[in-house]
Amino acid sequence: MESYQYLIDYLKNSPPIIQAVWILSCFFFIIIVILIIYLKYLRGHLRNNEKVVAKYQKEYESYLISYLYAGNEEEEISGEQQTIIEKLKISAADIFKRRIIVSTLLRLRNEISGEMAESIQKLYYQSGLIGYALSRLKSKKWYVVAKGIRELTHFHVKEVHDEIVILVNHPKKEIRKEVQLYLVTLFHFEGLKFLDVLQTHLSEWDQIQLLEVLQHFENQELPNINPWLKSTNDSVVTFALKLAKIYNQFEAKDAIMELLTHQQKIIRVDAIHVLSNLQVVEAKDILKNNFDKLSLEEQIAFFKLLENMYETSDEPFLLAHVTYENFEIKLSALKILKIFNIEKFKSLKEISSEPEFIRIFKFIAHNQL
Amino acid sequence: MNTSTVQIILLIIHLLFFIYAFFAIGSYVILAIISAVETLEYMKKNSFVNYKEILSSTISPSISIIAPAYNESLNIIENVRSLLSSHYVNYDVVIVNDGSKDDSLEKLILAYDLVKVNFLINQQIPTKPIRAGVFKSTNPAFEKLTVVDKENGGKADALNMGLNISNNNYVACIDVDCLLLENALQKMIKPFLEVTEETVIATGGVIRIANSCIIKDGKLLDVNFPEKRIVQAQILEYLRAFLLGRMAWSRLNGLLVISGAFGLFNKKIAIEVGGYDTNTVGEDMEIIVRMRRHMEEQKLKYKVAYIPDPLCWTEAPDNYKIFISQRNRWTRGTIETLRKHRKIAFNSKYKSLGLLSYPYWLFFERLAPVIEVIGIIYFVILMALNEVRWDYTVAFMLLAYLFTVLFSIVAIFSEELTFHQYKKKGTGFKLIMISVLEPLVLHPFILYAAIRGNIDYYFNKKKKWGEMTRKGMAKAEK
Repeated sequence: MESYQYLIDYLKNSPPIIQAVWILSCFFFIIIVILIIYLKYLRGHLRNNEKVVAKYQKEYESYLISYLYAGNEEEEISGEQQTIIEKLKISAADIFKRRIIVSTLLRLRNEISGEMAESIQKLYYQSGLIGYALSRLKSKKWYVVAKGIRELTHFHVKEVHDEIVILVNHPKKEIRKEVQLYLVTLFHFEGLKFLDVLQTHLSEWDQIQLLEVLQHFENQELPNINPWLKSTNDSVVTFALKLAKIYNQFEAKDAIMELLTHQQKIIRVDAIHVLSNLQVVEAKDILKNNFDKLSLEEQIAFFKLLENMYETSDEPFLLAHVTYENFEIKLSALKILKIFNIEKFKSLKEISSEPEFIRIFKFIAHNQL
Repeated sequence: MNTSTVQIILLIIHLLFFIYAFFAIGSYVILAIISAVETLEYMKKNSFVNYKEILSSTISPSISIIAPAYNESLNIIENVRSLLSSHYVNYDVVIVNDGSKDDSLEKLILAYDLVKVNFLINQQIPTKPIRAGVFKSTNPAFEKLTVVDKENGGKADALNMGLNISNNNYVACIDVDCLLLENALQKMIKPFLEVTEETVIATGGVIRIANSCIIKDGKLLDVNFPEKRIVQAQILEYLRAFLLGRMAWSRLNGLLVISGAFGLFNKKIAIEVGGYDTNTVGEDMEIIVRMRRHMEEQKLKYKVAYIPDPLCWTEAPDNYKIFISQRNRWTRGTIETLRKHRKIAFNSKYKSLGLLSYPYWLFFERLAPVIEVIGIIYFVILMALNEVRWDYTVAFMLLAYLFTVLFSIVAIFSEELTFHQYKKKGTGFKLIMISVLEPLVLHPFILYAAIRGNIDYYFNKKKKWGEMTRKGMAKAEK
C-alpha cells in the first residue's frame, strides 16, 4: 500500500512529460495485454473455423449427393429431395453456411456433367440461393456486387443479363471484369458485344482471361471484328487484334492495314505482328517503303514479318540493313539472306569489322536456322 | 564555455534526439495505418482473381527466371527442380553459373542431360565473358532450362548476363536457393498486365523464411516455426518489414527496394538503365532507385508494385556470424545506393522519390544505427559524469520497448488476419515470446552489423559480399 502511494506521489510530483510517458506506457501495456488475449482467441478461432468449414462441407456434400440420387421419374421433385431443399433453405439463411453451400455446389458442379449438373443448377434455384446472389447486385459495396456477378456466372444464370450489362462501364474495374466474364462465359462470342459500348480500358489481364474463356467454345462464329478494330478505345483495338490473330481473321485485313498508321505505337506494332501471322503480302511493301519513318519497335516487327514473307526482290533492302545498328534487325537481315542466297551471304563476311556484326555473322554461318 | 552555454548545447542535443525519435515512431505508426488500408484493399481485390485462367493461357506473357549461382553445388539440383516446377505456362529458367569453383556445372549437366549449344547473345549490357558455354537439355522435360557458365563477376554481373540471354519481356531475378511457390509467377506478373494508367517497372514479392519448413522435390509441404531464437526473430522482423513497411510504401508508390531474392522486372527498362550495377553490394536496391530515377527524368508515369502473398521462401542465417555478415552487406549496399543517387535527395524534380522515399531511407534506415550509437555513447558519457536523470531514462526506455513490442504484435496480427502461415498450436505463444525478446536477442546484433557496415564502407573498401554458408532447405528437418 505504501509503495503504491509512493508511486502515486512520485507521478504527481514528476514533470508533465514524465507523467505523459508513464500514461502512454500504461496504455501500450494494456493494449499489448488485450492484443495477446485476442490473438489467442483469434488463432483458436481460425483453427476452429477450418474444422467447422470442413464439417459443414461434408454435411452439405452428403445432402447434395442424396439429392442427386433421390429423384424419380413420376415427380419433378421427390419427397426426399424436397426435405433436402428445405434443409438447405434454412442453412442458406446464415451467411457463413451459405458460403459453404455455394462453394460445395460449385465444386460438385465442376466434377459432374450432363443431367446431374443440371440437377445441381436446379437446386441452386430451388434452395433460394439465386435470390441471395441477385440481392447482392443491389449492394452499395463493390466487392459484394462483384461476388454476386461471379456466382451468377458460375451458375449460368442468364436471366439477369439486362441487369448486369448496364454495369459494363462501372467505375470499379473489379466489377467491370466480372461483368465481362459473365457476358463471355454465358453468351460466348455474342457476349463480346460489350466491346461496342466499352468506354474504359480493357487491361491486358482482362483480355487474357476473356480469350481463355472464349477458347472453350468451339465451332462458334466470331462476330465481325471490324468495328472493334476501328474503335476509339485503344484497348478494344488491341483486343480485336488478338482476336484476329487467334481466329485467323483474314477478312479483317483491310481494317488491320489501316492500323499501320494508328497514332498509338503499340497498336501499330501489334498490327504488324498480326499481318505477319495472316501472311498479308500487301503489308510488306507498304512497310518497306516507309521503313525509315517507322519506330524501332515497328522496324523490328517488320523484319519479323519479312522472315515470314521474304521474296528474292527483297535482297537489296536486306543488304542495306545487314549492318544496321540494331542487333535484331541485323540478325534478321542476315538470316533471311542466308536462306535464299547463300553465296551472297558468304560474300558479306568482310563487309563490316564491327564486333557485333562479326559475332552475328559467324553464328548464322555456323548454325542451321 | 560557461555553464549556461553547456546547458543550452545539451538541451539542443536532447531536443534533436527527441525530435528524431518522435518522427521515427510517427513514421512507423503512419506506415502501419497505410499498410492496414492497403492490405484490406489487396485482400478484397485478390479474392476475385482467377489465376487459373492466366496459368493455362498460352497468350500470357513470357517470363525468364534468372538465377545466379556461385558454388551452390550442395543444393543446385534441388533448387533448379523447384524453379522448373512453376505452374505458369510461358516461362523459362536461366541459371547463370557465375564462375563457380565447385562442381555445380558438372552436376547440372548430369542431372538435366545438358549439352553445349551455340547461342547468340545480344550483349546489351557488358558482362564477364562466357566460360564453358551455354547449355540446354536434350530431355524435353527440361526444355525450359538454360544454363550459362561464365567467368566470375559477382551476382550483379550474373544477373546482367541473364538479362542479355533472356528473350522475354519480363524477367524474374531470384536467388537460386529460393523456393518459389507454383503460383508465384502469375501473381507477380499481374500488376504488369493489370495497371493501365502507368508503366509497372518492377514487382517485388515477400520473402518468407523457410528454416525448419518441410520441403520435398522443390515444394513446400509444411510450414514450421523454427526453434532457434535468431531465426524466430528474423521471421518477426520480416513480417514487420514486409507486411507493415513495404505494403505501405507500395500504396505510396515509394518502394525503393525490391528484395534481391525475388523480383520481377520489365526487361526493356532494366536494360535501358544499364542493368545491375556491378560496383555495389546492394545491387537489388540500386537498380530500383536507378529505374525510378530514369522514369522520373523521362517524365513517364510508373509504378513499383508489391505482392504481399507468401510466394518466395528462403533460408535465413541461423547463426550470428553469418547474420552480421549479411546485415553488414545490406548496410553497405544502402550507403552505396544513397550516395550514388544523392542527386535525388530533397529534389522536387523527383517528386515523392526525392521528397519522401529518399529522405525516409536516409534518416530512418541509413542514419538510424548511427544516431542510435551516438545516443548510446552520449548516455554513457552522461553516466560517467553522473548527469543521468534516471526517472527520464526508465520512463522513456520502457515506452520505447513497449512500442517495439506493440508494433511487432500488430505485425503478427496482420499476418494472422491475412495469410495465416503459422497455423500450428503453440506458435502464437512463440510469436509473442519473440516479440518480447526480439529487442534483446536480435536488435543489438543488427545495430552492431550496421555499425560494422559503416566502418567497412568507409575504411575497408575491398570488402565485398561476405559469407553465407547454406545448409540446404531440402534437408531441413522438422
